[in-house]
Amino acid sequence: MTVGLVATFFVGGGLIAAGCFAAVWRRDLTAALASIPLMFGGAGVAFAGVARFAAAGGPQLFGQEFAVVLAIAATALVALGLGIAGRVAPR
Amino acid sequence: MDSLHAIGFYASSGVSLAGALGATLLPGRDLRGASLGVLGIGLAGIYLTLSAGLAALVVLICYLGCAAMFASPQYRPLEAVVGGMWRQAGAIAAAVLLALLVYSAFRGDFVHATFFGGTIGAANLGRVFFAHDALAIEAVALIVFAALSGAGAAWYARERGR
Repeated sequence: MTVGLVATFFVGGGLIAAGCFAAVWRRDLTAALASIPLMFGGAGVAFAGVARFAAAGGPQLFGQEFAVVLAIAATALVALGLGIAGRVAPR
Repeated sequence: MDSLHAIGFYASSGVSLAGALGATLLPGRDLRGASLGVLGIGLAGIYLTLSAGLAALVVLICYLGCAAMFASPQYRPLEAVVGGMWRQAGAIAAAVLLALLVYSAFRGDFVHATFFGGTIGAANLGRVFFAHDALAIEAVALIVFAALSGAGAAWYARERGR
């Protein structure tokens, strides 16, 4: 049993497709914001897979770097989206 | 990659895909938040088996933060105005996208390279962050800072407007 670049691409593709599905299927726009971490996570898995299995030249850890940046950006975008949506009115 | 790492990768992949499906399909904020937490744990496991320990730690912290934000009862739901037909068309498009990604990954011909980094790789990653790509990382940090400041300002401005 082994893992290769294709397996990481399968997982990344599944996460990206699940994120796309969440973005278009959810009626609640704030719930649809969950698609951002899903899609960014899928892209991050693909980048980390490239860094692990196929980075031949240049800085080998570029994929890991981009995965870290994507995770931080996803958190910031979710915070921005929920902040724009606003609070529930206090009773 | 040895069998133990491969088992960890596939188990973490299953956990992360289960979390993704939960965040997509489950009703209720708390369930969606818990699913995002499960997704973060699975992603961290994937990164750890791919010798990206520092990325695993950052992803775990970020996704647990996302899970806490989604599980919170404080934010206001916003109803979309898109009709059901467009939503179904979008769902079909997501399925087509999955098929395309899987097909391109399966049929693609990729370079194989030997990985020389360690399991965590914090020193090497820090060198890439702060020496090789310092300007790009500063730009990303500025964008993240602006997004978080905007989120905080919007959150309190709407509260004051009521």
